Amino acid sequence: MNKIVAMAAKDIHILFRDKLGFFFTVFFPLMMAIFFGAMFAGLSRGPANIPIALVDQDRTAASERFIERLGQASGLAVEQIPGEEALEQVRRGRTAVLVTLTPGFGAALDNPFVTTPEVEMTVDPTQFAVAGMVRGVLLEAAGAELQDLMSDPARLGAANSQNSLFFESLPPSDARDQMLTFLDLSPRVSSLIDEMGLGAATGGNQGFFGPPLEIEQTEVQAERPGPTNSYATSFAQAMLWTLIGGSVSFSMSIAIERSRGTLMRLLVAPITARHLLAAKGLACLGATLFTSSALITLGITVFDVRPTSYPLLALALLCGSICFCGIMMALSVIGGTEQAAAGIGWGLSLPLSMLGGGMVPLFLMPEWMQRLANISPMKWTLMAYEGAIWRGFTLNEMLLPCTVLVAIGVVAFTLGARRLRWDTG
Amino acid sequence: MLVFDHVSKSFGDLRAVDDLSFEVEAGEVFGLLGPNGAGKTTAINMAVGLLEPDEGVVRFADEAFDRDPRDAENRRSLGLAPQSIALYEQIGGADNLRFFGRLHGLRGSDLEERVVACLDFADLTDVGKKVVSKYSGGMKRRLNLAVAIIHDPELVLLDEPTVGVDPQSRNAIFERVEQLRDAGKQVVYTTHYMEEAQRLCDRVAIIDRGRLMALDTVPALIEVHGGPGNLVVRTGDSESRHETTDPLGTLAELQARQAVDHFQYLPPDLETVFLNLTGRALRD
Ligand SMILES: Nc1ncnc2c1ncn2[C@@H]1O[C@H](COP(=O)(O)OP(=O)(O)OP(=O)(O)O)[C@@H](O)[C@H]1O
Ligand SMILES: [Mg+2]
Repeated sequence: MNKIVAMAAKDIHILFRDKLGFFFTVFFPLMMAIFFGAMFAGLSRGPANIPIALVDQDRTAASERFIERLGQASGLAVEQIPGEEALEQVRRGRTAVLVTLTPGFGAALDNPFVTTPEVEMTVDPTQFAVAGMVRGVLLEAAGAELQDLMSDPARLGAANSQNSLFFESLPPSDARDQMLTFLDLSPRVSSLIDEMGLGAATGGNQGFFGPPLEIEQTEVQAERPGPTNSYATSFAQAMLWTLIGGSVSFSMSIAIERSRGTLMRLLVAPITARHLLAAKGLACLGATLFTSSALITLGITVFDVRPTSYPLLALALLCGSICFCGIMMALSVIGGTEQAAAGIGWGLSLPLSMLGGGMVPLFLMPEWMQRLANISPMKWTLMAYEGAIWRGFTLNEMLLPCTVLVAIGVVAFTLGARRLRWDTG
Repeated sequence: MLVFDHVSKSFGDLRAVDDLSFEVEAGEVFGLLGPNGAGKTTAINMAVGLLEPDEGVVRFADEAFDRDPRDAENRRSLGLAPQSIALYEQIGGADNLRFFGRLHGLRGSDLEERVVACLDFADLTDVGKKVVSKYSGGMKRRLNLAVAIIHDPELVLLDEPTVGVDPQSRNAIFERVEQLRDAGKQVVYTTHYMEEAQRLCDRVAIIDRGRLMALDTVPALIEVHGGPGNLVVRTGDSESRHETTDPLGTLAELQARQAVDHFQYLPPDLETVFLNLTGRALRD
């Protein structure tokens, strides 16, 4: 064991001495994290169509009319989803805002004189700008609803007679009588205003009333975690890149030992091939665990990334490293020389990473691509990382990606170790 | 004691080592002398267990034991300085020694003592902390040798240990090899530099195309295979060369014919032996 540790320590020592290797394992991923984090942070505040999820629990003609109006509003892409999926949608970060029309919403919309219509809005607290914009669009739509109501005597009359019935049922008082007189008059308000030629000047009848819509806003973070900030996504990607960089560097290190002749020295020393393999695996595991942990620590301390579960994060880190150390061993077999190892390593990693969401988040890709991504170990790594960082996975949910990762790692390592060339030339 | 017993090794059709037999004694520097591609490195690789002979046996044996060099246990008692420098360039010289020492099971104060001794052996004490990539060619060669003896092995195999070094470093390496011999080690030294073999080796095996051409002490080899020496004579502007086994007699004959201004006798040396045995055709 002492010998294995000595060999592993030497490899890690060398990795961090090698400036290019260090660049690819640490700085490159870190730069990606900051770059993409900043880029997506900028994008999500931009004026492009903001995806919002909407749940209609009311299911009345009025609520449907309101949804249609929202859909026509510029700047929003409304996706109506079933209630059970809403949480999942927000959790997966597919939408920053969830709007819920609770039962009674339609009735209030048709008769806003007694109860102001109310919606629930669940937002990601880091996306205040987006939330503000959605708020504006909601108010605008409710205002337009009200205006329509006021200029439609039939609907207004229906609302009024409904209200009159209600007030008449109350015990008699001066206030009740005044209210009934007011209701009696109000259907004529808009026609009186029109008669005076003031329609445009007052902007309809909104001025008579309070805000046309009450918005009850809750922040998503407490119960429904979303990506707390865009760095949560980009640091998960960066951690993936550090694994890729580390595994390519280590697959090169075996070829380098061969070409520099040190493999000969190792083989002449009183150790077995098994020792050597164990040492390479251990070194790769140690180095990738260290760099990925260092990156997420930086994300947590400097960029305010807040993992939903530290134990699961540790599990994800371990499984990701196991997977890529296995891949490292397989790569070092395919690439006999250091150039070949590096070329094949990066040549395979780049497309698989793109496919697996290592550059552009998976949820932005078309459906078929997301399905194809299942063949990419990078996808499973990201799933595990993100599951622990912001998707709020349970241990059960974490089991799938972790099992896939460990399986890939073990199979690749075994295949690689079996076929490794032990000759020294 | 390293024993080669009718050992052969082929790569495809090429017979790199062909029926090679010899024994190396303790306290002896044993030279393996041969042109490029003679099979020296192949023989060394079989001696350390990196290659398996096709025929014959390589053993590491004395009264107490008889081991196969492929046996990991046996590797503790041998040290190899490969022909091409084999070091971790990104770490320091001392760290290289420390690492290989650990691989051979050294630890703690034993390890540190050996590291200090080997740095001193290689005259690298002052630069032990410097990374190897900053070393000169001579320093790397000396470290390459020091790493081979970090675990104080019985048998030290040096495969062309002086390639690409200046005369100062070369001399330092010679002295170190002599030091090893005086400490009772068995040293196998391969080279194609005649003067190295002549100065250092107690016995020399001359091999060519994998075959053993001759094996003896240097004087005995010259005696048997050296042939005549050369008498170089100058008269005025002309110089002539005369092969002879009796230089005084030949000189007297020449002087009888004309006055000799200047003469020089070149006795047969190992190079003459080598060229006589291996021919003058280019290799590789
Ligand atoms: N792994 C190998 N595969 C095929 N041929 C080989 C291999 N190793 C050596 N040879 C061949 O075997 C022959 C002997 O090689 P070897 O390296 O033992 O020679 P050498 O005496 O050490 O030469 P040099 O002085 O150039 O180092 C050469 O012709 C070489 O090309
Ligand atoms: Mg050689």
